[in-house]
Amino acid sequence: MAAKPGIRCLYARRNAQMGININMKASFDIVGIKQVPLHEPVQKRKWHQGKPVLSAVLLFLIAAGCLACNLITTKDPTYMDLNNFNLPPNREFLFGTDTMGRDIFSMIWSGGRISLLIGIVSTIISTFIAILFGAFSGSAPEWADTFLMRLTEILLSVPNLLMVLLIQAILGKANVLSISFVIGITSWMSIAKVVRIEVRQLRSSEYVIASKCMGGSFFHILWKHLTPNFVSSIMFMVIMNVRNAIVAESTLSFMGIGLPIEVISWGSMLSLSEKALLTNSWWIILIPGGFLLGTLLCITSLGNYLRKNVNQKNSNL
Amino acid sequence: MTKQNLPLYLVKKIFVFLFSVFLLSVVVFYISRLAPGDPLVSYYGDRVEKMSSAERIQAENKLGLNDPVYVQYVRWLGNALHGDFGISYKYKMNVTEVIKGRIGNTLLLGGTGFLLIFLLALFLGILCAWKEDKLVDQIICKIGTISSCIPEFWLSLVLILIFAVNLKWLPSSGAYAIGKANDIGERILHLILPLTIVVTSHLWYYAYMIRNKLLEEVRADYVLLAKSKGLKKSSVMYKHCLRNILPSYFGLMAISVPHILGGTYIVETVFSYPGIGTLSYESARYKDYNLVMLLCILSGVLVILCNMIAQAINEKIDPRVKSGDSDI
Repeated sequence: MAAKPGIRCLYARRNAQMGININMKASFDIVGIKQVPLHEPVQKRKWHQGKPVLSAVLLFLIAAGCLACNLITTKDPTYMDLNNFNLPPNREFLFGTDTMGRDIFSMIWSGGRISLLIGIVSTIISTFIAILFGAFSGSAPEWADTFLMRLTEILLSVPNLLMVLLIQAILGKANVLSISFVIGITSWMSIAKVVRIEVRQLRSSEYVIASKCMGGSFFHILWKHLTPNFVSSIMFMVIMNVRNAIVAESTLSFMGIGLPIEVISWGSMLSLSEKALLTNSWWIILIPGGFLLGTLLCITSLGNYLRKNVNQKNSNL
Repeated sequence: MTKQNLPLYLVKKIFVFLFSVFLLSVVVFYISRLAPGDPLVSYYGDRVEKMSSAERIQAENKLGLNDPVYVQYVRWLGNALHGDFGISYKYKMNVTEVIKGRIGNTLLLGGTGFLLIFLLALFLGILCAWKEDKLVDQIICKIGTISSCIPEFWLSLVLILIFAVNLKWLPSSGAYAIGKANDIGERILHLILPLTIVVTSHLWYYAYMIRNKLLEEVRADYVLLAKSKGLKKSSVMYKHCLRNILPSYFGLMAISVPHILGGTYIVETVFSYPGIGTLSYESARYKDYNLVMLLCILSGVLVILCNMIAQAINEKIDPRVKSGDSDI
């Protein structure tokens, strides 16, 4: 019999994958078969394997440093030292000073508080709106659902930057809360879409109907029965929203639409970089940006960890 | 979709489209007018400060800013349906003229960026799926994740710092050197940095999508069959797996057109590149109402059209997604 060895090999691999324990050697001998170990030696996984330990630790350090900034900082971050402006990093000013003579090392830690705060507050706002809107749209009748989804699509079609500009103009001068609010109400749409799809799948399940029959209100059902079911599928997007909000704040402040230069955040520190480019002072651009980027990377890898891993099987190719 | 209801389908789509554009225009009109601020400043400049109140009222009447908002909206809509979108307060020209002068630059930047992203994402996605979990894949994945995290404006700053300030290889702003608008070499030089940023900030999102889709595809049973038939790895990949994911990739890219064009906004402002992005930033900041309206509607139309194209592509591939279904 001259069957292709490839096929036999595939069968063997298939069986090994499916965990079928056939001892081929014992019953007959196949010439030229690729030996596939039927029992892969199971290595004991260490506790930290596959977990973003480094990112978590880094993020914790940055957050802790920002919270305890009074203990770390050597100078008053708002004090403008006009004798020492635009200095490169040296022993007294660890990260140098900016064009207004403020100590960048102190600014990083106290500015980080504002940046992280805006990221968290605006995510809370946007998640709240998204859950309410998505759940309402998902449990509403067909026509209302279509209308609401159309509306989200229309809101999504206005360029984000323009929308933020227009709404910020309505609220007046920017401060920490108004910026978080604006970022929050312009970034809920994609989460709302996911929530809506999940709710549509869940709304006709027995426990929801039972709760409805017993007189459970919309919010009771939403909180007790629906939210626990879809929370895992929006978790990744919520974490990414924190990241996007921090990026949005820094972009807005950099462009001069966000926080004013006196309110220190990583974004408003970078808004001095136009001047820094003229004098080639790299530390004003690279150091706050490096902290910003580091935080974003840590948040992203935490978020990716929460995303479900789909490719568990072996490749067939 | 059968042939009989094709006209009905088209009519329905066109109706939805027009309704969406109408809603969009109402929303933007109201939001832009809710903001406090003086549109007269962008029309008359600093002279507004010296105006007497009578002159102010006269000026506002001339621009029609004293009527209630809905009256203004109906007037705007009437004019717009006749193809007259009003004048820009800042440039004192027809809005369409202002946009016509700028849109070419944005299309050049966005269009080239889109093409590059489209091709590079395909290439990187296939490469990563091919070398799954090998060193190449891991390195590309790491670099990709980092590149998609970097805020656009900061990457622009760093690149300007390196290539324009220190190395002095590339210009740091504008679309061409003064007086050399038609010099192609100059234009390309000015395009390199903005283009790099547009591409790097979007590329990984799409490449990663392709990688994951391919990895899912590679685990299907037909791959096993194709291999047992004796096909080479490359032909399984290109003839079977890639073909299966390409249609949904086209759908995805149709949705991404406005994303990528919208992504040029920040880049344009940082590089003061004379395109739609800088224009809309200025117009929203200085209350140039007519300009804001037309820009929003243009981008809205683009988004809605692209969404519809994507939906049509998806319906063609997957008949389970029906047009009547409210899934978006």
